[in-house]
Amino acid sequence: MQHTVTFTHNDKRSSISVPTGTMLTEAAQLAGIEIGQPCGGQGRCGRCAVLVTEGDARRRSTLRLSRSDVDEGYALACQTVVEGDVSILVPPQEKIERRLTTDRVVAEVTVPVDYDYDQHQTIHRVYLELTPPSMEDQTDDWARLQTALRIQAGIPEVLCSLHLLQTLGKPLREGEWNVTAVVEKNLEFPERPVRLIEVFPGRVDDYSPIWGCAIDIGTTTVSLWLVDLVSGQVKAQVAEYNGQIARGEDVISRIIYSGKAGGEQEMRQRVLDTINGLLETACKRVKAKPEDVMKATIAGNSTMIHLLLGIPASSIRLSPFITAVNHPPVMIAKEVGINIHHEGRVDCLPGVASYVGADITAGVLSSGLETSENVSLFIDVGTNGEIVLGNRDWLVTCACSAGPAFEGAGVANGMRATQGAIEEVWINSDSLEPTYRVIGGGKPKGICGSGLIALLSEAFLTGVIDKAGNVNLMAATSRVREGAHGGEYVLVWGAESESGEDIVITRVDVDNLLRAKAAIYAGFSILADTVGVPLEMTDRVLVGGSFGKYINVEKAVQIGLLPDMDWSRFEFLGNTSVKGAYAALLDWRMRDRITEIAKRMTYVELSADNSFYDAFTSALFLPHTDMSRFPSVAEALAKSN
Amino acid sequence: MALSGIQIYKMLPQTNCKECGFPTCLAFAMKLAAKQVELSACPYVSDASKKQLAESAAPPIRLVTLKAGTEVKAGNEVVMFRHEKTFYNKPGVFIRVKASDADAAKKVAAADAYKVNYVGMDFVIDGFAVEADGGDFVGAVKAVRDATKRPLILIAKDVALLDSALSLLAGESALIYSADASNYEAFADVAKKHKASLVVTGDSLDALADLTQKIQAKGVEDIVLDLGGKNLSEWLQRSTQARRLAIKSNFRALGYPVIFFAGQNGAAKEPVYAAQAISKYAGFVVLDTFTPELAYALLVLRENIYTDPQKPIQVQPGIYEINSPKPESPVLITTNFSITYFAVANEVEGSGLPAWLVVCDAEGMSVLTAWAAGKFDAERIAKAIKSFNVADKVSKKRVVLPGHVAVLSGELEAELPDWEIRVGPREAVDLPGFMKQALN
Amino acid sequence: MPIEIPKDKWPGSVKKVTLGATTAEGGTRSRSVTVGGQTTLPYLLFEAPTPNKPVVAIEIKSHKPDDWSPLLGEVWGDAMNDPAQWAKKAEEAGADIIVLALTLADSPEDAVKAVKSVLGATGLPLIVWGPGQAEKDNDLLVPIAEATKGEKIMLGICEDKNYRTIVATAMANGHVVQARTPMDVNLAKQLNILITDMGLPADRVIMDPTTGALGYGIEYGYSVMERLRLAALQGDGMTQLPMLVTPGFEAWKAKESKVGEGVPEAWGDWKARAIHWETLTAMALVESGADIIVLRHPESVKRVKDAVEELVAA
Repeated sequence: MQHTVTFTHNDKRSSISVPTGTMLTEAAQLAGIEIGQPCGGQGRCGRCAVLVTEGDARRRSTLRLSRSDVDEGYALACQTVVEGDVSILVPPQEKIERRLTTDRVVAEVTVPVDYDYDQHQTIHRVYLELTPPSMEDQTDDWARLQTALRIQAGIPEVLCSLHLLQTLGKPLREGEWNVTAVVEKNLEFPERPVRLIEVFPGRVDDYSPIWGCAIDIGTTTVSLWLVDLVSGQVKAQVAEYNGQIARGEDVISRIIYSGKAGGEQEMRQRVLDTINGLLETACKRVKAKPEDVMKATIAGNSTMIHLLLGIPASSIRLSPFITAVNHPPVMIAKEVGINIHHEGRVDCLPGVASYVGADITAGVLSSGLETSENVSLFIDVGTNGEIVLGNRDWLVTCACSAGPAFEGAGVANGMRATQGAIEEVWINSDSLEPTYRVIGGGKPKGICGSGLIALLSEAFLTGVIDKAGNVNLMAATSRVREGAHGGEYVLVWGAESESGEDIVITRVDVDNLLRAKAAIYAGFSILADTVGVPLEMTDRVLVGGSFGKYINVEKAVQIGLLPDMDWSRFEFLGNTSVKGAYAALLDWRMRDRITEIAKRMTYVELSADNSFYDAFTSALFLPHTDMSRFPSVAEALAKSN
Repeated sequence: MALSGIQIYKMLPQTNCKECGFPTCLAFAMKLAAKQVELSACPYVSDASKKQLAESAAPPIRLVTLKAGTEVKAGNEVVMFRHEKTFYNKPGVFIRVKASDADAAKKVAAADAYKVNYVGMDFVIDGFAVEADGGDFVGAVKAVRDATKRPLILIAKDVALLDSALSLLAGESALIYSADASNYEAFADVAKKHKASLVVTGDSLDALADLTQKIQAKGVEDIVLDLGGKNLSEWLQRSTQARRLAIKSNFRALGYPVIFFAGQNGAAKEPVYAAQAISKYAGFVVLDTFTPELAYALLVLRENIYTDPQKPIQVQPGIYEINSPKPESPVLITTNFSITYFAVANEVEGSGLPAWLVVCDAEGMSVLTAWAAGKFDAERIAKAIKSFNVADKVSKKRVVLPGHVAVLSGELEAELPDWEIRVGPREAVDLPGFMKQALN
Repeated sequence: MPIEIPKDKWPGSVKKVTLGATTAEGGTRSRSVTVGGQTTLPYLLFEAPTPNKPVVAIEIKSHKPDDWSPLLGEVWGDAMNDPAQWAKKAEEAGADIIVLALTLADSPEDAVKAVKSVLGATGLPLIVWGPGQAEKDNDLLVPIAEATKGEKIMLGICEDKNYRTIVATAMANGHVVQARTPMDVNLAKQLNILITDMGLPADRVIMDPTTGALGYGIEYGYSVMERLRLAALQGDGMTQLPMLVTPGFEAWKAKESKVGEGVPEAWGDWKARAIHWETLTAMALVESGADIIVLRHPESVKRVKDAVEELVAA
């Protein structure tokens, strides 16, 4: 029986007559309409979604569509069969991208709704009109400023560095005794003295920015947000690989290196160079100068904080694994070596233990896990994977060494999630030809974390690699070949890449990715076991990490990085550490909460017995040795075979 | 039933006061769940919680201790399979002699003196059983007691005989064999009088459970079960059933250690019978034959089965010969974590290539873990090379470092100035290829 | 009130695997051997009978080995020079299956010849082991598999490194594969998944989870096997395969069995000790679920077979 299928595409209508049982994609092709099918018509990528506006068609699979999508009339063209007259709207591709149920994009940073500069910010600007001195009024400059602060700003006591005293006279006179002082208040204990940071001549516009920055020092990536403390807005976000990478990819190598002669100084300088470089870039973007920044709030794992401050870190790696300091006091920027205002405050957030640092306490704050009644799981995918399970009553945490693969490091063609990085990949099941999406849209330079996750998942589902990660050299494509490190798959031929070189994923890369995902999966499954809470009982799974601006949850589940649960339970939070630092930079109450979180967290040592090793080997497979933990992947595999 | 960390946490004060020595109440609760700390460390726990926690902590199989000059413990087990946690108290291996045997004391003395070393541990026979079979039982017990200081099992049907024999063993905790439905009252009395433990026999688990309850009512707590069973199959089934009832059903009447006589069907079957008893839940194994070769094999089996599977097993540090190495064969380095050792040894062995494998003492950790924890560094490697006299065995002073610790090569060069340091592959799988290509 | 004995009712069971094909089944064996089929833990007859009792295989070599213990040389004598003779003697000693282990020195032609001579000398099912190096194993096993098409021999050793080749030839020629992994539950399961993913039915795979000898890591093998069998009974399809163990190989590698001189006096009599070592290693593995037990000494074969009879007798 013949049916009429009417397509609307780019506002043009075209009709075609096809027999019962024709796939919508075939009908579209006959009608001369191109519907992209990056996965090769397997119903896997969801890019061929169309809207059935009239009539009905039989959907064989709606795996990549949400229930509400289906209710609205969406169908996957490659999985939908014509069984009567039907009208189809082919939406523009961008619209589809936004609809896909499994892509979790990091929400834009918004200023906390209740942020009130006056009440919550510790850095304050006060305009003062001092009585000019005279032969009668012989009060010294310092006392004169103190008096003005007391009377005009209600600040009874103020502390001041020698350096400020040395330079105090100039702004007072330049501004003809009208000055703007920048001070740091203690909002929790208002009776305590405030610190004077800077005195500017004259009046500074109340609405002009006061700059602060939130920094996350990751083992692999350092991120810096430049923030206007008055409005609370993030004005620039920058990130760069940590310069210490040249001396080792993981914290242990760094600690060992720092123990060598001159090592500590070198490591410190390397990370300072990275931070100061980022600071410069960020400031340039907003036409400010680094010395205009009055405060830096820093999160980072315990090793990174030790190395930044030049504190010996060797005790972190040696039993009984004790840090020199979990909660450093607030310091002056000049001492720390960060090129913000030399009197600016540097606040390193508190950590819990050697392998659970301020990055995770800050992360917990920004995830909101510690305020919820239901148990949630927070997974921070970094070089050191950190995991927190808990609710408002209890919090347990553990760390596992995942390696830098998901940040694009330690992988042959890996890169950070910046311009030119491949962030999404599909492989056609029949031709084994890839399709990919590049950040910024230009020629690809490499593959970032989210791209690697997608590539691994697609290679596995299409049989390019087997479940153990072996590249199938018998696969019928010239993209599979024997390389210097065993089998490899060519994602981009040199002719299409930025550098002119092939972009490949090698057996060694696959191993690194497998180990990284296995360590993380083992980490959270053992943590859940240890406290006796089944993973299914977790209400939400909050994912943090620097793989890119989004994560395709489905693919992360398919490779066994994330547990197989309803996709709606996942939230992708991006870099939670820098977000937590941002919250603490703005609001002293948030800063306090991080301290509370650090006190409440219970650290679980994973390597104490064999169970971690066992869970790890079990997870060192695609998606996992125990397929019953991954029912949705089993279903997807059954389909693709 | 065992409680999870979170369940225990809910019974604790949740104040994170740190007085127990742990940073949070939850950390303490998890230690309690893992039985690594005593509840008494918490000064603020409520009485109600205390009671509830004590109940959950009581072992499903009673601990029975035999004591003389030495001690043997049985019971306190919590799992059916060793991988679930571990088996705790190794079954005591006893040798049985008969009172009528004129050489009884001599045989005991010989077995008593037996000592065999297995990877640094000395194994001995744990004790002896003396059986009344006519003749001078009390005299035999006295002679045996003079020949050994180890705990004794006394086997007799006549309670009066046992009473006299036990009088010789003042201050000890012996085990007497055995009470049945017909005589349990008298046996219980004598066990109580001499603070002895008591074996009960019965032809079914029902009969045994009935007896243990009656004996317990008479004030004897230290009971051992003889499950009967006339062949391997019967015994395996009964032993499994009794253990399941105790552990899974929390059936207290059978929550006692089990004794097994391995020689019941003759000396030829004794090794296999004893081996099954060791693997399958016996608390005491009684042998009729003592030979060093059998004792050694059984004691090693016992050690292996009762090794804590949660603890990574270590290999003895030293230099291992693989495929009959010659002086020019390469020297490979690894750590003494057994899985690491086996991975390396198996790969090299499988390749057929000869090599010297130097196993460093890295406290039983894998290469990366040990390196991270500072247990596998240039100093330790150099020490191993020197203390195992590797230089005397080889003509080419060249060592191959695991690729994961390539960073150590510089320091190792400094530690071993006359050696060539080569960096091998990261994974054991790649060793044969590396040896073929890079080490010629 | 009588005690209620707790009985386990398992959702899963072990698959049955048959080795060897009789003339009627397209081969030349006088009988085939089926293992597996268990529905509960080993020998718990109060829950279920043992459908197929474990069988004993005797390991012989294509060439007289120069590194075997003299104690083994004593019992096998000149037969060790001829695999066909050796196989016959092994059958007389009670073997249910012959394991023919090839050596690195064998050429593919030699290997095929040795296999054929053993098949001619005995009607028992055959297991063939390559020398244990992935590439060499492939070189030898592929022509053997082709030359013995339909005999349903078992090809060993199939490991993660060479599984594609061995599985492909087993599929093409109607054989069974011996999937070996190094003492780890997960690795065992992973290899089974990879093998069955290629399309070989699970009832043509036998797991070889490896084990150590008594005193040399037997506890690993013991627990790995217990865990694999528990997983199988719990319904995990990729562990529901019978298990082959090699206590003969392991025990005779141990110093305790191999040598009689220069050892501590407390080790006792050499020969008795060597037999204990092999027997007790085997028995521990029988208790933890072994289906095919590969041994070397006839006395151990006798003891293990006797013990198995006792265990399966209702």
